[in-house]
Amino acid sequence: MTQKYRAAPAEDLIWHDLDSMKLLYHRPSGITHILADPAPAIFEVMEEAALAATEIIARLTALFDIESGGDAEEIILARLEELSLLGLVSRVPG
Amino acid sequence: MGKMHHILLKIGPAAFRIASAWRQPLDQLAGLYRHYPAPGEGQVDFTVRLEPDKPWRRHIRPSVHIGGDFWLPDAAPLPLAQGLLAAEMGMNLQMALGWRRHLLLHASSVKKDGKALVMTGLSGSGKSTLSAMLAERGWRFMGDEFALLGLDDGKISPFPRLISLKNQAIGAMQNLAADDRFGPEMKATPKGDIRHLVPPQEAVTRMEESATPALLLFPRFGHARELREMGQAEIFVRLTQASTNYVALGESGFRALTRFVDRVPARAMDYQSIEQAEELIDGLWSKLP
Repeated sequence: MTQKYRAAPAEDLIWHDLDSMKLLYHRPSGITHILADPAPAIFEVMEEAALAATEIIARLTALFDIESGGDAEEIILARLEELSLLGLVSRVPG
Repeated sequence: MGKMHHILLKIGPAAFRIASAWRQPLDQLAGLYRHYPAPGEGQVDFTVRLEPDKPWRRHIRPSVHIGGDFWLPDAAPLPLAQGLLAAEMGMNLQMALGWRRHLLLHASSVKKDGKALVMTGLSGSGKSTLSAMLAERGWRFMGDEFALLGLDDGKISPFPRLISLKNQAIGAMQNLAADDRFGPEMKATPKGDIRHLVPPQEAVTRMEESATPALLLFPRFGHARELREMGQAEIFVRLTQASTNYVALGESGFRALTRFVDRVPARAMDYQSIEQAEELIDGLWSKLP
């Protein structure tokens, strides 16, 4: 069974650009987050679908310039776990 | 509990009722705030209470406990001679913890050409002294403690309470302002030596007039003269730290603060004298669009 992830509903999130970072205001918690790459890109490719880390990487690779191979999956998985602890992404059984 | 005395004060958009077990701090406040309008009893936003630390301490070496609608449990009692400071701290505390109509920034602000200069920084940055000095040199004083950022219109509303001068700033301002604008000098308070200064008359008569912020400065006194650009992320984080009610305001606070960061140019300013700061500020101000 593959762990899948789903981003918080778009209507719960307010985005704002700050130079190279992005602010994310999470309506249900009232908490403001400052996100650096690749977290904003992860949200962009997830849309509202439940996706496994490998699917997210495939979408990221199609849209952005990502080094092939290496530890991309580890990095994305670590960010997804952090985002799920913050309540910005939920873990969905695959 | 004995009889409480009280006075009503209106400062910018906020109305206060200051109640005290003693007359002395209220008489001092009434004298210093003599040019301010008085709100009606029904229009009060906050109550500040100055009460004896213990009932029996009303007369025997009295010390003042600050109370009110909002309070901090660790607010230490002050000697009665510092009752005026207790009242001012009490008013600040009510604003910091209870005000919801604006985003509150720990910042001073002054106005020129219809636009506001906002200065924020830690205690000791010189933001209060700078606002007091500029107010004697062609700028209109708006406030030395809180800048009130409008949630809908993004403008700064004045909150021109008494200017709280500390330590060396007291002597510097005594050279510039008339004696009858000063309160009593309070030595060795928890905040150092304190003396309050009444803002220039125009700051009070025009305290209902808001202004669009045109420049944000992070002054730092005592470092070699320098102006530095700052990234928006750093500005945003420092302003959330400077705000007492950003979290409480939720989404409207987020929208007000992001708009402020988007629209208002900001610089970090290191300086070693008031003259240096004034020169740097005039240079930046003259280049604004």
